[in-house]
Amino acid sequence: MSGIARGRLVEERKQWRLDHPVGFYARPEKLSGQTNLMKWECGIPGKDNTLWAGGLYKLVLEFNDDYPSRPPKCRFTPPLFHPNVYPSGTVCLSIIDADKAWRPSITVKQILLGIQDLLDNPNTKDPANGEAYDLFMKSRVSYNNRVKQVAAENAP
Amino acid sequence: MSEKAPEDSKPQVDAKPEPGDQINIKVRDAEGNEVQFKIKKTTQLKKLMDAYCLRMGTAKGAYRFLFDGHRINEEDTPESLDMQELDCVDAMVSQLGG
Repeated sequence: MSGIARGRLVEERKQWRLDHPVGFYARPEKLSGQTNLMKWECGIPGKDNTLWAGGLYKLVLEFNDDYPSRPPKCRFTPPLFHPNVYPSGTVCLSIIDADKAWRPSITVKQILLGIQDLLDNPNTKDPANGEAYDLFMKSRVSYNNRVKQVAAENAP
Repeated sequence: MSEKAPEDSKPQVDAKPEPGDQINIKVRDAEGNEVQFKIKKTTQLKKLMDAYCLRMGTAKGAYRFLFDGHRINEEDTPESLDMQELDCVDAMVSQLGG
């Protein structure tokens, strides 16, 4: 059944090449000249006028054969300090959760824009990272400073 | 001016390049403004980047050009980067952290 997944990913890549949000990238992994459509390397820029500005945050999208019935796994590499990012780097977000708001019509572009938006709008009702969540709730000043530091570390 | 060359010995310099020789590349800035360039696949992208800066009225080097997240080097060509028709290049304002 991987035919569906591959066909869709070929099309996603085609559309991305023609048009993508500025500063983002999303390219299938290349291993010794071979393109692996099932694993994409992506970059999300922090939004201007937010604490995350100036950083380019790298993540990996891993697609399975049951994509697009099921969403890709989205993981920051290295893991990102954020209330909704697990210590493993995996992003916790409704639109890429098969049990929540994932729909097969959601595109790679929508996923990456959604994650960009999540950076500055963490969901405190469903934290995935205890350390980042605690700091966000208890000391916003320290949290903000930490995020600025993260942005500086991730400057391209 | 002088003697006319016979019809059958017309030089071939006017021959149009093969259609596959050139591609159109889009360059987009942070505001989403788009400029399209036609460039030979074997031409160094330095030419495109300089032309863009000229068009924007900025000094050369005012922008970083990114293709697929990689910075484009002056000596790269559309061919070496495996660019396709209407591929999109990002023009980011060069910045230095302090």
